[in-house]
Amino acid sequence: MYAIEADNLHRTYRTSSGWIRRTRRTITAVDGVSFQVPPGELFGLLGPNGAGKTTTIKILNTLLLPTGGTARIHGLDVTRHTAEVRRRIGYVFGGDRGLYDRLSALDNLRYFAELYEVDPRVQRRRIEELLELVGLTGRQKERVEGYSRGMKQRLHIARGLLHDPDVIFLDEPTLGVDPVAARDLRAMIAELVRSGRTVLLTTHYMFEAEELCDRIGVITSGRMRALGTPGELKRHAQDRVVVEAEVYGVDEEQLDALRAERGVRGVTVDQRGMLQVIVVQCDIDGDAEPERFRSFVRQSLAHLKLGRVEVREPTLEDAYVGIVTGQEAAAPETTAVLS
Amino acid sequence: MNGFASTARLVVVGGMTSYRALFNWTTPSMYIGTLFASPLFQLLFFVYVGRGLGVAGDEFLIVGNAVLSCSVAGIFGGTMAIANERRYGTLGTVLLSPRSRAAIFLGRGLPYVLNGALVSVTMLGAAALLLGWRTPVDRLPALVLTTLVGAIACTAFGLTLGSVGLRLRDIWLVTNITSALMLLLTGVIVPSGELPALLRGIGSVLPLTHSVAAARHITDGDGFGAAGPDLLIEVGIAVAYTLIAVVLLRVFETEARRRAVLDAM
Ligand SMILES: Nc1ncnc2c1ncn2[C@@H]1O[C@H](COP(=O)(O)OP(=O)(O)O)[C@@H](O)[C@H]1O
Ligand SMILES: [Mg+2]
Repeated sequence: MYAIEADNLHRTYRTSSGWIRRTRRTITAVDGVSFQVPPGELFGLLGPNGAGKTTTIKILNTLLLPTGGTARIHGLDVTRHTAEVRRRIGYVFGGDRGLYDRLSALDNLRYFAELYEVDPRVQRRRIEELLELVGLTGRQKERVEGYSRGMKQRLHIARGLLHDPDVIFLDEPTLGVDPVAARDLRAMIAELVRSGRTVLLTTHYMFEAEELCDRIGVITSGRMRALGTPGELKRHAQDRVVVEAEVYGVDEEQLDALRAERGVRGVTVDQRGMLQVIVVQCDIDGDAEPERFRSFVRQSLAHLKLGRVEVREPTLEDAYVGIVTGQEAAAPETTAVLS
Repeated sequence: MNGFASTARLVVVGGMTSYRALFNWTTPSMYIGTLFASPLFQLLFFVYVGRGLGVAGDEFLIVGNAVLSCSVAGIFGGTMAIANERRYGTLGTVLLSPRSRAAIFLGRGLPYVLNGALVSVTMLGAAALLLGWRTPVDRLPALVLTTLVGAIACTAFGLTLGSVGLRLRDIWLVTNITSALMLLLTGVIVPSGELPALLRGIGSVLPLTHSVAAARHITDGDGFGAAGPDLLIEVGIAVAYTLIAVVLLRVFETEARRRAVLDAM
């Protein structure tokens, strides 16, 4: 039996705005998402902002009903067996909110221990263990309002684990956390999986997904665009090379000129101080192609101050960018789903 | 632990913790200032206006103000106990609890009931000390019971407003206006008989109108029997607002899952 099963999930939101002439809109946030996560797996849901990751998690954790499709946690339907599902899941989201700022960490945990029905006889021990696990021992009596972003996030994780759930949803847990604290959080997440729990993690950091996840689903505009192990996803880009060029002062028009070239699949720019690193993803069909693309890029940018121009093998990040940018243009029917 | 003991624990322990988490006035200066000092000044104000203008006797205004003084803890506290979830972004994690919504949210009202009754009794004590008010000792238990019932009704009303506050961003406007209106409509300062029928009608479904009437029967020496009917109606009003709060919470939660209308999640 799977720990998490999503079967053709759909979710639309209706919004209305304006007072006198109310305009109503229907937003499709999740548009037919299916996947299965076996027990003990760390599954990553990856996608740009607004892709539908949080909505998917909220359907799975019972906060939202699907407008179509079904979902199960350990075989329990999230719509029909809501209470049982809630006892088996933990939910942790990123950001500054979601804790009682004026209470100490200890009192926050005590309160949620009541809400999540942790047996009072084991509460104290459980809370101590969790404080230890998330590295807040010694700070537990301080009010949460004085906590750093990273400490709050660790407390969030402790809260999510109070009732010892075996399925844990982590929605962008490293959002806005400094790099060192984020690394600690990733170690903590890896530890959760090692202890046998099933974790569904959303993030938009590719390296984070690559480091942690057994399998990754890439979602854009509410649809699963690709699904597989990091290695399998990389193969999405196997008939591709990447030309990376360092340049100063490139503008949108010149980028569009690059994009218009036959075989160029996507162009992205990474600003590093004054320097811009242009990443050109190219489809190749022949051995001479990588060099052709490199001289093409070099020539197109020749009138600018140009640094290093190199051809390299695509990384997982490139595969991800290719999937996301490619799918925005492509018709959904052409989506290739690996599994 | 059996089901009953476990629920009782959620109501009491959970309720007390949430009091510190969600009540805005838990620092000593805010607590004393808001809950005790300002109703005391209001009491003195009305008694001296009553004496100066000769519009009402001391006892009428002392009893009225003392009963009214629980309303800040009850109505504002009750509203905060639920609507402040919006402020902390905690509603989603609370709703993920598998436990009874009634136990979670009604337990939060408990501290405000005790708090409100304490304020009312303190006001009576202050009136005895500062204004020379006296009443036979054998009337005190009934009087304290009456303030307790009034505090329960106020808190139930506050919890109803708090539930609405999960949906309505500007609930504090409603709470402020209602709180001010109670001065006029519940017969604590202005005798209900003086009000036009419509206002009297509104007053009769607000908390405190009937508990203050009961308190007046007791201090007038009519006996507990005479206060009984009003006290029972006040209990009925408390039960009614409690039920409304529970129903609203259930409706909003169901709606939130179906239509994603609670932005606090
Ligand atoms: N409560 C809501 N009401 C209306 N639209 C919403 C609501 N929540 C999310 N959306 C919209 O649904 C889409 C998916 O959002 P979300 O699931 O939060 O994406 P992600 O977590 O991947 O960033 C977005 O277009 C977002 O604006
Ligand atoms: Mg999100």
